[in-house]
Amino acid sequence: MLSRRDFVKGGVALVSIGTTANSLLKGTLAFAAQNPQDLATPNNGKILVLVQLAGGNDGLNTVIPRGDSTYRSVRKAIGVAEADILPLDQTYGLHPKLAGLKGLWDSGKLAVVRGVGYPNQNYSHFKSMAIWQAGDPDLKLQDGWLGRTLEKMESQSHDPFFGFNIGASTPPEMRIDSISIPSVQNQEDYGFKVGGQTVTPSDPRVGTLMKLYEQYPSQSPYGVLLETTVESATSSAKQLAAAAVTYKPAVAYPKSSFAAGLSVLSEAIVGNLGMRVGHITLGGFDTHSKEVADHTNLMETLDQGLTAFYKDLAAHGRADDVLVLTWSEFGRRVQENANGGTDHGSASIMFALGNTVQKGFYGDQPSLSKLIDNGNLSFTTDFRSVYATVIERWLGVASEPLLGKRWDQLGFIPAA
Amino acid sequence: MERTTTRRALLAGTATLAAAGAAAAIVGVVEQSGGGGSKKDESAKGAVATTKAVKNLDAPIDDPKRRAAHLLRRAGFGGTQAEIDAFAKLSREDAADRLVNYETIDNSALDARLLKGGFDFTYSQNQLVRAIFNMQRWWLTRMAYTARPLEERMTLIWHGLLTSQVSKVGVPFSKLMLAQNELFRTNALGKYDSLVKAVSRDPAMLYYLDNIESTKAHPNENYARELMELFTLGEGHYTEQDIRESARSFTGWRVTPPTRTGDNERDIATWNPVFFVQPAQHDTGAKTFMGKTGNFNGDDIVDIIMEQPQAGRFLCTRLFTEFANYNPDKKTIDKLVAVWESSGHRVKDIVRAILVSDEFYSERSYRGFVRSPVELLVGAVRALQIETDFTPIATQEFRTMDQTLFEPPNVAGWPGGSVWLSSSTFYARANFLDTFLFRRNRPIELPALAGAPTPQTMADVALKVLVDDNVAADARKSITEYAGTVTNPTERAAAVAYLVLASPEYQLI
Repeated sequence: MLSRRDFVKGGVALVSIGTTANSLLKGTLAFAAQNPQDLATPNNGKILVLVQLAGGNDGLNTVIPRGDSTYRSVRKAIGVAEADILPLDQTYGLHPKLAGLKGLWDSGKLAVVRGVGYPNQNYSHFKSMAIWQAGDPDLKLQDGWLGRTLEKMESQSHDPFFGFNIGASTPPEMRIDSISIPSVQNQEDYGFKVGGQTVTPSDPRVGTLMKLYEQYPSQSPYGVLLETTVESATSSAKQLAAAAVTYKPAVAYPKSSFAAGLSVLSEAIVGNLGMRVGHITLGGFDTHSKEVADHTNLMETLDQGLTAFYKDLAAHGRADDVLVLTWSEFGRRVQENANGGTDHGSASIMFALGNTVQKGFYGDQPSLSKLIDNGNLSFTTDFRSVYATVIERWLGVASEPLLGKRWDQLGFIPAA
Repeated sequence: MERTTTRRALLAGTATLAAAGAAAAIVGVVEQSGGGGSKKDESAKGAVATTKAVKNLDAPIDDPKRRAAHLLRRAGFGGTQAEIDAFAKLSREDAADRLVNYETIDNSALDARLLKGGFDFTYSQNQLVRAIFNMQRWWLTRMAYTARPLEERMTLIWHGLLTSQVSKVGVPFSKLMLAQNELFRTNALGKYDSLVKAVSRDPAMLYYLDNIESTKAHPNENYARELMELFTLGEGHYTEQDIRESARSFTGWRVTPPTRTGDNERDIATWNPVFFVQPAQHDTGAKTFMGKTGNFNGDDIVDIIMEQPQAGRFLCTRLFTEFANYNPDKKTIDKLVAVWESSGHRVKDIVRAILVSDEFYSERSYRGFVRSPVELLVGAVRALQIETDFTPIATQEFRTMDQTLFEPPNVAGWPGGSVWLSSSTFYARANFLDTFLFRRNRPIELPALAGAPTPQTMADVALKVLVDDNVAADARKSITEYAGTVTNPTERAAAVAYLVLASPEYQLI
């Protein structure tokens, strides 16, 4: 099927430079006329919620290799005490604050992917994040891996919430020119206010402002960005406000802003806003010092947020539709440092959570004694195998064109 | 259940803005950004900045007033109409000299204002929010009312590059962030080597990147890594061994602790941390760093880094992308690197070279950046001559714009560029302007617009000083028409200011 991007690429000739948004609109209308079924397709697809653990999550203190004696010797100060570990099996266990996830494991809804990384690990936060976000260690693929995926999926749907981000700005993995991603930081502030009161765009002053954006030529500096941002803002605010009227959280979400963001994602899901990919970030994982205190808090925030989110979705009958996937740009050094922390490392773990998830461990645990790069884990599972699994088995599009090559898929989602 | 799609909304209504996908395709002709020095997200930034087909982007900005306004926005935070008019009469060289040679400019009015502001920077624990609030107000006051705009602009550039976050340094240690801020100001245009050495021993930085805890037995690599990756060379221009060896060279770098009398608050208030090297924790063994071997200390490491050709390329590219545009070609950077060499790495000479360059005064640079929240606010205060103590930044709307001074998102500083604009920050910008201009529902005084007798002249004055009189004819008409519906002159001025400050043109810089 012709995607919107294919169409507009072919149609660019029609849209001569010097036109305004009005004539661009004609191209869009023409697309709609040729593909009427696109407008009527209901969006009942599967939903991915990607959770970024920013800063480099210590995988070894998240899913603890309790059966490996090396763990005790390399983590003398910051190792989690055996008695506190929540056992998953004889040799692995969860951080004590991950009690909710332990419950989901017990009920068969949690998978752990071990040893996730990529060749020639980059130890810079920003470079490694960029690699994960592009889905390409060479950074040759354009745009974000989810941006590319959304574009491939988008002939099925054009909802403004198709991709939806909690935060201030579009996350790089969702970035692609053809799709504008609404970002919501605080739902109360998501809409125009005049004199502190929420108003609709028909308010005279706001209406005049909207006119200024309509009059701003697309080909002027940042014209496309300004136009798509404002369009996305106005259309999404209206729908989100409508969803808020009917949505009642089935659980009390914890007080963290992470949990508040998850409740907005839940609202979008329960409110049937057409979301296929949601994104949220929990930051603070760069634990060079005082790791025990900081990491414990983070584990608690993560656990309580995800558990509430799952329960809320389940109560609304939507837990079957949602897959939660966590990632982090790298793990931490195996050997703790002298400051009660850990320096930048390599392979780490990912969680996959949802009703459809096949409980279990995927990917081999890297050895704690045969280390690479002066004390780091040697990865066993390429992160693109995880992406390929999610793209094909969950989102339902072919992964090879999106990732540049064929990757083995993992069993945490059953093959169709 | 209502299931509105973007496209359907557009089919049904008059939402002419909805051509998202179609419009985006035009961006096929985007310029790719260059420059290895900048740590920022280049792809995000350059992506929709300009289209080649519009006009010749290398053409000079033709109008002298547009040039002057551009210079004042980039080298400072924008000018009043009188300042723009005055700079429009100067040659490029004279204009740049007036900005970079600011030491002799009298800034006593600002000093008096800061003194009168009575800023209190002593906090007990759990007062992080209040600390950040007052620290931000203090710095915003400096930016808005300084007679030396480039001094504050450079301080902001260094804060975004040689970053620390107050949340990590912590309260009550937050005063260390102010000392770091003064360090940036004092060393704003000096030799980069000296600035980096000073930052390496700066107390806030020692805490922020954990070097304060780095010991001979266990060197902490955090500072060593970011020193090379983010501050001086860029990723890919050093090895993991270089990081380990330089981390050893910075071991034992400490500051004197507060005197402990039992009164924690007083101890911190009177604390004046002094840098020293703790001999027992400093590794005096031989290190091999970037091909050289010796008993290096941190300063030696900085010296070796600064000898690398990449160091000059890195900083020149960074400064160019701060002031001019995101797409410097090799020739442009080569020219600046020559200045780096000939001046002995002096920032003032590089900045001046950028501010007089054709590239700086090109259409590519004009409105080539998205305005940051700080630029949005300070630019309005300066241009409209607003009197404010910046207490309105205590609003949720200001925070949602997503730039908190002293608290950049991470060690790479603010990514900037198109990242500033999202649906979330778009509302935050419009709504912050609403609360700022109509405080408690009363319009604030806007001296620059107060004298305008008609809706038309008021729109003209605002468009001239804020967006160089450079908007579509329709936009002027829309603003004038709305202004005509507001009868109270103070309210009309605030409404006009809202529309221009929230306009697409003003979101660019």
